[in-house]
Amino acid sequence: MREDRHVVGVQEKPETLDDSALIAQSEIDPERFAVLFDRHADEIHRYAARRLGPEPAEDVTGEVFLVAFRVRARYDRTWPDARPWLYGIATKVVAQHRRAERRRINAMSKVSAERPGSFDDRSADRVTAEQLQPRLARALTSLSAAERDLLLLVAWADLTYEDAALALGVPVGTIRSRLHRLRVKVRRALGGIDPFAEEPQHG
Amino acid sequence: MDDEIRTFADGRPAAPPYPEEARAKARERLLREAREGRGFRFPKLGWQAAAAFGVTVALVGGVAVALSAQQPKLGVATSAATQSAAVSDGELRPRPGQFIMVASDTMYGSFTQTSGKMSRYLYRTHREIWQSADASADGLLLIAGLKPKPWPGEPLPEESRKWKGESWMQLASCPDRLAAFRTDYAYLSTLPDDPAAMRALLGKRQPGEKGEADRAAFTGVGDLFRETYMPKAQRDALFEAAKEIPGVQVAEGVEDSAGRQGVALGRESQGTLEQLIFDRDTHMLLGERHTVVDAKAAGAPVGSVLALTAQLKVSVVDRLPEHAGKVEGDSSCVPQPGATADSTGQPSAPPTAEVTVTATAPAPVETTVPPAAEPSNSVGAEPTDSANAEPTVTIEPSAPVPTKTG
Repeated sequence: MREDRHVVGVQEKPETLDDSALIAQSEIDPERFAVLFDRHADEIHRYAARRLGPEPAEDVTGEVFLVAFRVRARYDRTWPDARPWLYGIATKVVAQHRRAERRRINAMSKVSAERPGSFDDRSADRVTAEQLQPRLARALTSLSAAERDLLLLVAWADLTYEDAALALGVPVGTIRSRLHRLRVKVRRALGGIDPFAEEPQHG
Repeated sequence: MDDEIRTFADGRPAAPPYPEEARAKARERLLREAREGRGFRFPKLGWQAAAAFGVTVALVGGVAVALSAQQPKLGVATSAATQSAAVSDGELRPRPGQFIMVASDTMYGSFTQTSGKMSRYLYRTHREIWQSADASADGLLLIAGLKPKPWPGEPLPEESRKWKGESWMQLASCPDRLAAFRTDYAYLSTLPDDPAAMRALLGKRQPGEKGEADRAAFTGVGDLFRETYMPKAQRDALFEAAKEIPGVQVAEGVEDSAGRQGVALGRESQGTLEQLIFDRDTHMLLGERHTVVDAKAAGAPVGSVLALTAQLKVSVVDRLPEHAGKVEGDSSCVPQPGATADSTGQPSAPPTAEVTVTATAPAPVETTVPPAAEPSNSVGAEPTDSANAEPTVTIEPSAPVPTKTG
């Protein structure tokens, strides 16, 4: 029954490994790292697409995993979930596109004012769905790059404060105090008005 | 009081799905990087040195079975001058504590994306890998850069010049962690010798995600055969099992990079037919060949070859080679001190992490990690070891000469 025993042994292992064990495995069998890609590429792509738009997001996603692969020896094995680590790398890669991001945010912050009233409904929906509402875009321009990174990791990537701390390499306490300052700024930029109430009225 | 943050969370822009093609391309790019070898990053040696990539092949006190390119078949039957009972019927019989050494020449595609511009070429290497037959000791990997070739129809990009020099890497052995992904002889010997059971194993070993199962199974076949040695019964079973994977095509007379012909099992993937070429009788892996069958998907003319390799030699040795140069450590698992069973009784000096034998120029090497992607804590370019060895023995990549002492 050698074969049976073997098969059982195999079943125990493969895809149930957590990210940390997988990364450890990939040190010996580098191609195993592709499983990490399979697990998280869509999510990283979503985040990159939200921040930079669809086309840059493709490059950014590929780059994030290449960088991650190259530095995987440094991965902190005490974290079973690699997402914060990947988001940390994504943050750095996105930062290389800062000028493009600024252009994008600036453009989105003006969409509302320039949009013709007769804009086709469905196409308007599509445009707004993939774009940030102008008020939010304007609020984003009031933040520093580091503040934007933190805010969007928490708001768009749904990272907990602990995860964000890990991703950005700062203590959790620092995250809390930064978020506090950031909220004040955002509140001021939003002018205390619910952006959802305002935007459709412009259209 | 997360109102402001919630406002942003609720107002997040919709993200388009990751286009399948871009996703596949990124994944393939990652895999190619992985295949290039554990962090090997263009050591800074001139081509003068690289052309004579100074490999000191000293198989101390070992059984070396020469399988050079001159031989028509990569049979293991060819015995070296001094031989032991390890080889009788043409099969290697590695003992616990010994090492399997496999030498090969490879050519695979290299893709680099710099600010949205893709540059690509075919990088070539000579590889020699030593793996403990029973996973009881760390192994060793040598990668020496050979002259790259241009991507079909494109000029050779500047960056391809970096592909030179050589690099030695320790391969940490941790059989427990590797589990079903072990490739040592002792483990491979336990695989089923029945094709059906082997086929079932392939499915379980790497369960592919949605519709990828067959591709994953075929990938698994390559992983098990590449740079390994397993008993004939397992080779036969794996060969037959691979034939049963949907999409696999059998072809006769396919040539590896050393000009040897064999029977190929191929499967199409992203516009190329990926073939594993075997000796018809022994089912030893001769090499790999990837030929374009869909120009659009592959990004190269139909018929052009994007990967071509040859496993030139498979042998059993008692010890890891001595070599000049720095060994890149592999801290991926806890080292196993004393696990180097040295059957010769001679003091052995297996390389351990960060051992510097003769490191003359640990010059910082340009990395391909973008500088901006080096955060303070967890992310950063790994330091690259530059193996600036003074060549002592020059061997032709096409026909490595095994040396045997003791």
